Amino acid sequence: MRAAVAPQADDLILSVREVKKHYPIREGALQRVVGHVRAVDGVSFDIRRGETVGLVGESGCGKTTLGRVIAALADPTDGGVHYSMDGEMRRIDRLEGKAAQTFRRNCQMVFQDSFASLNPRHLVIDLVGRPLKVYNEAASADLVERVVELLEQVGLGRQHLFRYPHQFSGGQRQRISIARALALNPEIIVLDEPTSALDVSVQAQILNLLNDLQKERNLAYLFVTHDLSVVRHMADRLVVMYLGKVAEAGETQAIFDSPHHPYTRELMAAKPDLEAEANVEIRGLEGTVPDPARPPQGCRFHTRCELATSACGWEIDDIVRWLEDAPGMFEHLVGVERTSEFAAELAFDNEEAAGLLSMAVRSEQVPEAMRAAMRRLNLDGTKVEIEFEDVGEVELTVRDDGRMAACVLTPEEVASWKNS
Amino acid sequence: MLDERHCAAPVASVRDLKVYFQSKRGIVHAVDGVSFDIRDGETLGLVGETGCGKSVTGRSFLRLLPVPPCILAGGSVTFHTHVVCKACAGVGCEACDGTGRQAGRDRSVDLLGISSEDMRRIRGDRIAMIFQDPGKALNPTLPIGAQIAEVFLQHRTEELIALAGLPPDTVGAIRRFASQSPRFGDGWLLSLPGPRRAQRLRVEESLAKMVADALAETQVPNPGKLMARYPHELSGGMRQRVMIAQALACNPDLLIADEPTTALDVTVEARILELIRNLQQRRKTSVLYISHDLSLVRRISDRVAVMYAGRIVEIGTTAEVFANPRHPYTRGLMAAVPGADTPRGKLAAIRGTVPELVDPPTACRFAGRCPHETGTCRSNDPVLEAITPSQSVACFIDHPAQSGERPTYERVTK
Repeated sequence: MRAAVAPQADDLILSVREVKKHYPIREGALQRVVGHVRAVDGVSFDIRRGETVGLVGESGCGKTTLGRVIAALADPTDGGVHYSMDGEMRRIDRLEGKAAQTFRRNCQMVFQDSFASLNPRHLVIDLVGRPLKVYNEAASADLVERVVELLEQVGLGRQHLFRYPHQFSGGQRQRISIARALALNPEIIVLDEPTSALDVSVQAQILNLLNDLQKERNLAYLFVTHDLSVVRHMADRLVVMYLGKVAEAGETQAIFDSPHHPYTRELMAAKPDLEAEANVEIRGLEGTVPDPARPPQGCRFHTRCELATSACGWEIDDIVRWLEDAPGMFEHLVGVERTSEFAAELAFDNEEAAGLLSMAVRSEQVPEAMRAAMRRLNLDGTKVEIEFEDVGEVELTVRDDGRMAACVLTPEEVASWKNS
Repeated sequence: MLDERHCAAPVASVRDLKVYFQSKRGIVHAVDGVSFDIRDGETLGLVGETGCGKSVTGRSFLRLLPVPPCILAGGSVTFHTHVVCKACAGVGCEACDGTGRQAGRDRSVDLLGISSEDMRRIRGDRIAMIFQDPGKALNPTLPIGAQIAEVFLQHRTEELIALAGLPPDTVGAIRRFASQSPRFGDGWLLSLPGPRRAQRLRVEESLAKMVADALAETQVPNPGKLMARYPHELSGGMRQRVMIAQALACNPDLLIADEPTTALDVTVEARILELIRNLQQRRKTSVLYISHDLSLVRRISDRVAVMYAGRIVEIGTTAEVFANPRHPYTRGLMAAVPGADTPRGKLAAIRGTVPELVDPPTACRFAGRCPHETGTCRSNDPVLEAITPSQSVACFIDHPAQSGERPTYERVTK
């Protein structure tokens, strides 16, 4: 059992330890499991009382899945979420009876799409009052008063009690969702993109409301979002995810001042805010997020990183991926025989294509770091033998002042590239 | 970004455009008297919140609005088609004063008045559109190549025939094939072994070449391979590139981009923006860029128009509007975006909600939410008037009101 885990600060309420969530890929008539989508692949962080932790990343990086695991809406494949109860940390998926109830009422969730998360056939009084009824907190006249009280806290009123969700605007519906989450006086609320479906003027209202409620009730928030300007405004600490892993974590301000991971830096460069100089260059990332069923070796970001070095985990998949887009070679590829993730023999149906490949991987056509990582390259007729340096997974390392980043480069190296 | 000589002629002018929608509760004034010009070669950003009528304005250029429930209640959208300078083929030379267009040869058409036949000739050829969700805008049952090929078949039949090495007076099944208007039996005729089949194959070959060239423009790797793929096999960013290739295939004079990056990740968004900007500058296309994202519009546009509740409340050069916003709504929008040093919980939200656009009263549309409103604003309707040669605003703060007290920025109404 991994019940009680190390960090035992008094104000800790939730601690996420090496959480993994893999979804099986099934194929064929027998629905055999042929692989796993590693939506979340070993993530750890803590949430303390009254603070806001921001969880950011591109779509498909596993941030929503992680949010659902934390709210106990999905069971982790491995690792666990530990909740502080009566002075000890207990794994939430092993709680039973009374204890499970206590956790569920103390951890609430607000979803992105308020159309989908509010039952269209229920009145507001049912939606907001349901948790109170379920936990026998209130009934009849008392229930109405409690619901009105909650609605007033989120800026709605008694006149809204007997209306259906479709009669409200997007911002008002999100307020109803928040009122419902507040009903049982929780300690922590998981906010899954609560404002991304809203306009900026309404977003400002909701963010202000969330902040007021947090101060009033000493709530902890896990703020899942892809919007950096919102997360900078709201979060005390930040966890940046990429492809199921934490790329960087630390104090929000410190990360914005000097990102230690190239991915964080790219995210920020892609969306400069309104106050920045108008001529600041916007930069995007090359390529797409790799397949989470076959995440890249070494550092998962190396396929798109401009700063990648030979130690970042170049592998056979990178060669194959590059071949797919290279005209005149992929059509002639007949087989890839791997001895490991880093070594393989690529067979072509003619010598010309094999020659082309061995020329190409020595030239400017492939990233310099990839060439540097190549240990062996043999051209033998129609076959090309390639072997890369064997590199282990790039681990999240602790930097100074409580920051963590998973990058082989030092912060200075990342920063110097930014200026060039 | 834009030099003086381009500014002279507008490529399209919208005048007092009114688009209403029939609904159960009455007539919704979705667009209610909008006027603006899109100048030659510029990017005009159209910003506003959900339901302010920005997409309806964009779609009215191509008449992509279903009538009914839509009612084109009035106004005009005049489009000036250009004739490309023969001496330099649009690059810009001395003969055409660097504009790449032949002066004095422009034709004007009212897009709301022409026949559907004429509209189809302009749509996709002279005016093209990029939609918000490439997943929905692309046909899931056709490979990418076939979808882009349609544009050429519809609008570039002559070039296609010339490129295939056929005489320009080719008629019959081959021409019908090259203009996508097959008759019964054509398919059978063209698949029989013989000269017709050889000609068809040549047309197909040159078509594939045109499609590959169009795709290559958008910097996709290996266009030849992409053509055989279906939309669902591609990522969001790639799909949007395909749609851009499709829109720019015929080198349009005006491109309407309706939130082209909203469905994409930030990192991909930056790439797509860069691509649109590069292609626009190279081809001197004018762009109407519709978005709700202020920081994005600021980066891509030469001029900005801010829309609220079916009206344009402020329009001007990007630098002016962002440095010195005059309308309280523009100010409110900018303040609502969380900045680096906005204290938490102190975001300037605009109070209230967007008004219903069913039979709106004669008043400023922003009255009721405006922090500076007076009695004047509630009984008079401000019009868009110039305050500097390049900036106009519709607010009594800058224009004298007919009667009653004038609002000021200092005075805050509770």
